[in-house]
Amino acid sequence: MAPPLEGGLTLRWVPNTDWAGLLAAIVIGSAALAFLSPNFLSEFNVYVLLRSVCVGILVAFAQMLTLAVGQMNLAVGALGGMVAILFGGMMEAFGVPLWLAVPLAVAIGVAGGLVNGLLAAHTGINGFIVTLATGSAFTGVNLGLTKSAPFYKMPHALQDFGNGRFGAFPFLLIAPIVVSPLLALFLFRLPAGRRLLAVGGNSEAAALSGVSPANAIVLAHCLSGLLAAIGAVLAVAQLGSAQPLIGSDWLLLSFAAPIIGGTALAGGYVSIFGAILAVLVIALIQNGLVLVNADPYWVQFLLGALIVAAIALNRWRARPIGLGW
Amino acid sequence: MTEQVLQQPRYRRPFVMGQQAGLLVILIALGALFTAKSPGFLSSFNLFTLGRSLAIDIVIGFSQMVVLATGGMNLSVGSIGVCVVMAGGYFMQVAGLPIPVACALALALGGALGWLNGVTIAKSGINSFVVTLASANLFSGAMLIATKAAPLNALPRSVGAFGQMRVGGGWVSPMLLVAILIGVALAIFYRYSVIGRQSLATGANLRATEMSGVPVGRRIIAAHALSGVLAGVAGLLTVARVGAAMPAAGGQDWLLPSFLGPVVGGASLAGGFVSVGGTILGAALVTTIRSGLLVMGIGNFWLDLFLGLFLLAAVLAQHYRGSVPWRRRSREG
Repeated sequence: MAPPLEGGLTLRWVPNTDWAGLLAAIVIGSAALAFLSPNFLSEFNVYVLLRSVCVGILVAFAQMLTLAVGQMNLAVGALGGMVAILFGGMMEAFGVPLWLAVPLAVAIGVAGGLVNGLLAAHTGINGFIVTLATGSAFTGVNLGLTKSAPFYKMPHALQDFGNGRFGAFPFLLIAPIVVSPLLALFLFRLPAGRRLLAVGGNSEAAALSGVSPANAIVLAHCLSGLLAAIGAVLAVAQLGSAQPLIGSDWLLLSFAAPIIGGTALAGGYVSIFGAILAVLVIALIQNGLVLVNADPYWVQFLLGALIVAAIALNRWRARPIGLGW
Repeated sequence: MTEQVLQQPRYRRPFVMGQQAGLLVILIALGALFTAKSPGFLSSFNLFTLGRSLAIDIVIGFSQMVVLATGGMNLSVGSIGVCVVMAGGYFMQVAGLPIPVACALALALGGALGWLNGVTIAKSGINSFVVTLASANLFSGAMLIATKAAPLNALPRSVGAFGQMRVGGGWVSPMLLVAILIGVALAIFYRYSVIGRQSLATGANLRATEMSGVPVGRRIIAAHALSGVLAGVAGLLTVARVGAAMPAAGGQDWLLPSFLGPVVGGASLAGGFVSVGGTILGAALVTTIRSGLLVMGIGNFWLDLFLGLFLLAAVLAQHYRGSVPWRRRSREG
């Protein structure tokens, strides 16, 4: 979202955005699927499709924030799983009301992120290793507390939220619709967000300009935990129960979506819209494979191919101005 | 120039003060604790099963270690492993090839997949994290499409028999000997061979090494190919242990152990430094904790928590142990 500010709205601008290729893929893919299977555009299928992207978008954002500051969060799924279990557990076992459980769950997510951030920023240990270790610890808490048994007795309000819809619009989609502009506002307009990206772009230059890289790293991990926690609450609402397996398959998506969407792995540059579209493309692939009765095993292969295609496209775009990876 | 990058530090820390010694002390203490709590821990059967899983964890760690040495990462260790598992099973069961030929072909496939990673990384200059993230999916996905996730469990009997075989007084698995042999070969490779030293130099400082005339691209490609072969060895050891080729072997389950061993053992994520002995001890720590918790009846559920905390503690200890002499030196200088 940053380059268009300089480029202006010219003909060259549209193909030069992070998301133009993804948007084209979505339009062409949807048209092809609508042609192949009349069910694709049915109200229910669109609802299913949109409902399946809500958690993914939050997960992608959670990783994107750590990537923005030049870190990685390998604990994103483990933290989400732990939050989901504690969220479900406090409601079922201790009867905590929903209005209190949601902020508590989010606070747990922030606390987990704070641990990651403090360790990554102040011990000098690579964030990759820190979050690999804390991720294992979070998973351990999750499995140790639950013994792999889910919490089923969720409040009806939460389940209604997870299943409710206006026509093809799932209630769950409200969360990403609210979070995305707030995230854009934070990263592109607020000083703290700008500092975060500055540290990701060039940590030393940022430090010399009076920005504290350590504080930015802690903040990024806290926000990553916050977003992962929101994703976990949504996942509990979507499933109608707090499953210990929530989050176990987030890691791959969390990296794939921002990278496909154009976020730089090295930090300093993010594309919120790109990440959203990438999650949509992945959901479209999954949905399409179900509709045309294809082997579900193709999902993983196509996801890998999509990452390769996105990297190739990014490099091709970077070529004329000589920007490498 | 090269000499300085490659030279050993003039002052070598005595073994008792090194990280490996610390790991060994923790390992012995844990072993004593588990034995005291439940005498079954040191039974010949438990040591045998412990050795088998240790062998696999060690080789998985080596597979990551050789790439860490050049300053990269390989997220596709598990995916290559499972591809080799299924290919090995196919060659033995469906194609009916003799076991050594089938194993050699399967390992060649592992090497080829790793080589593919290496070539992509070296030629394009894209971060190894992204490349292997993508290739992990491509490899696993292709394996699932080709096998339809069906296990191959009519392998020749001698494969399973190798996994059950016991030597050296009934508690050593030959699989462990395979892992140790590979370790010795790797230690010699990194300490005495030119290519090994150049691989480490590539990880320590890519640009300086390139300026010194080392073909760094080829060293990176070789490291990834070697990583693929080692992931394949770990896969074949898994086949021997289970006696079948399962598509659920490897994959994401190997990610944590692959980093745990080398990193607890002292390898630097930034590249340029690895420790074969440390990787073995790191893997032994993981296996001991896992087995000990099982023997004590705490079960597998809390395992991840302990592994995570131990990894964190080990890395923190390493970091602060390493930083003290460094500070002193910089003050003197």
